Amino acid sequence: MKPLAEHIRAITPREAFRPVVMFVPWIVCVLVALGMHTLAPLVVDDYWVNVLRRIGVFIVAAVSLNIVNGFTGQFSMGHAGFMAIGAYIGGGVTYYGSLMLHGSVGDPSFQTHGVLLMLGGVAAAGCVAAGAGYVVGLPSLRLRGDYLAIVTLGFGEIIRVLLELTTKQLYTREEVTLGALFKLPLNGPTGFERIPGYASVFWIFLFASITCLIAYRVKQSSSGRAFLSIREDEIAARAMGVNLTKYKVRAFVLAAFFGGVAGALYAHTGVNPSPTDAGFQRSFDIIIMVVLGGLGSISGSVLAAIILIALPELLRDLQQYRLIVYALLLIIMMLVRPQGLFGVREIWDFFGKKNRPTSKEESNP
Amino acid sequence: MSEFALDAQGIGISFGGLKAVQDFSMRVPAGGLYGLIGPNGAGKTTAFNLLTGVYSPQSGQVHVAGQRTDTLRPHEIAKAGLSRTFQNIRLMGELSVLDNVLLASHMRGRHSIWRTILRTPRFVAQELAMKRRAMEVLNVFALDRLADEQAKGLPYGDQRRLEICRALATEPKVLLLDEPAAGMNPSEKKTLAKSIQRVREMFNVTILLIEHDMGLVMDICEKITVLDHGVTIAVGTPAEIQANPKVIEAYLGEPGEAATSPAQDAGGAA
Repeated sequence: MKPLAEHIRAITPREAFRPVVMFVPWIVCVLVALGMHTLAPLVVDDYWVNVLRRIGVFIVAAVSLNIVNGFTGQFSMGHAGFMAIGAYIGGGVTYYGSLMLHGSVGDPSFQTHGVLLMLGGVAAAGCVAAGAGYVVGLPSLRLRGDYLAIVTLGFGEIIRVLLELTTKQLYTREEVTLGALFKLPLNGPTGFERIPGYASVFWIFLFASITCLIAYRVKQSSSGRAFLSIREDEIAARAMGVNLTKYKVRAFVLAAFFGGVAGALYAHTGVNPSPTDAGFQRSFDIIIMVVLGGLGSISGSVLAAIILIALPELLRDLQQYRLIVYALLLIIMMLVRPQGLFGVREIWDFFGKKNRPTSKEESNP
Repeated sequence: MSEFALDAQGIGISFGGLKAVQDFSMRVPAGGLYGLIGPNGAGKTTAFNLLTGVYSPQSGQVHVAGQRTDTLRPHEIAKAGLSRTFQNIRLMGELSVLDNVLLASHMRGRHSIWRTILRTPRFVAQELAMKRRAMEVLNVFALDRLADEQAKGLPYGDQRRLEICRALATEPKVLLLDEPAAGMNPSEKKTLAKSIQRVREMFNVTILLIEHDMGLVMDICEKITVLDHGVTIAVGTPAEIQANPKVIEAYLGEPGEAATSPAQDAGGAA
């Protein structure tokens, strides 16, 4: 039988170059974001537009955590740590960038440049968080299950404490110099205030849909199968030639990158990122989304993020009882569907397979 | 450089005081079909684990197609051309049959994360080629019609066959089969024997198999190694092995001792 290399050579450029597969999904992402941005204010009030922005941020967070916890089966409990790194880096770039370039922060006349700064901040946040992900990914090679969970939990707490120890002030125009920034003026335990809310529904949902697209493409690829095989059976995965080291670290780096992106976006939604955002409470919130949606299911994570952010808002009328109702709903959910909403599958797997392209036609988006 | 596809010299491992496998040597020429037998607990699967790097040998050397492998990590050994099936089936249960086989052709391709994210023509071509090849491999065992099923949903015999498919998809030079016929009925075993010989021709692969079913081993293997308590007690052709008093003793106990029946051995697991 022919080896793989010969099979690859046998494939014509026509078969291989599929513009629909390559480009169209990106355009769809932009359209989704544009659609959300125009429709949202028409349908709901400002308050719910804000909830929508939160939902978008947590879609990014949950889908990215799913790469580690869901695909690869490595139980990470420090995702909030990556988010917080992203939030402070992203916020820092926008805040101090605005100060140094324009002299004030959040000035409407600086809006366009501010948004560009935010995008730069998002990229920087992703990269720094990815670096942190690499560092956290390394022990995951030796640790399994509970032990890895403890290490990653510890990572989140370390980030929280480090953020509390940053210089307790935010510099003003006069004080800020490049050298002064090395003192990390991030306002310590009080939290990073006064970051302008540049992350509109458009930007948040652009990043959310791109995250989903990338996660989906990874899942439907050789790398994704390697991730899933590590979750299923490490010994068999190794025997089939999967480099566990490489793929575990790759999963952590990918997840951390988008965790950082989520954090940077979060910082620009009009909240004040504070050290508690790196704590285990936030990590658990994201884990609950991933588990509720189904470990390995991207659409599950998206739906779970929507439900878990919107639900407390909808239950607001119940006042202090809402936490009880929320907890009860989760318990019932786990009893009824322990594998999560969709298990490892995607939402469209549950509808008729005939009328949509399946893997057989090799036309996955 | 040896002309042997698989060349193990004096490998051994002990767990605490238990010498699980001692001084195990085996040379299989390219294209050979050899057998490894022995009573339960003789160390056959441990020997496989040593060859494939699940355990690192404490002594000895292993060469696969001339490349030294005992110092490599399991995935590197797999890349060097040594693939295996597992006695207790280790499929990726949640994944589809096709994905199980695709996973195995993983290391023969290149997987840049950028190409994956951008779905470049090169990525698409590779995935397409992997899929075509996987379907061909599945076709050998008539599993292609089950390609979209979840692996854990397959009947037992199909799961065993899928394990062989998956091992073959790694494009191995040497294939280690750990009790491929376990739990199969006589007619399935006959088909399996034919398939194993066919696979050897089609994939140009060297095969070493552990099997409890003496009929199967004696029928298809050219040469057999017998292990007992981690020690190699006999090497030879099926006829020589059948006549070897040491082998008979290992299986049936010493003459005069209350002997266990050979049938019991045939059905059990090591």
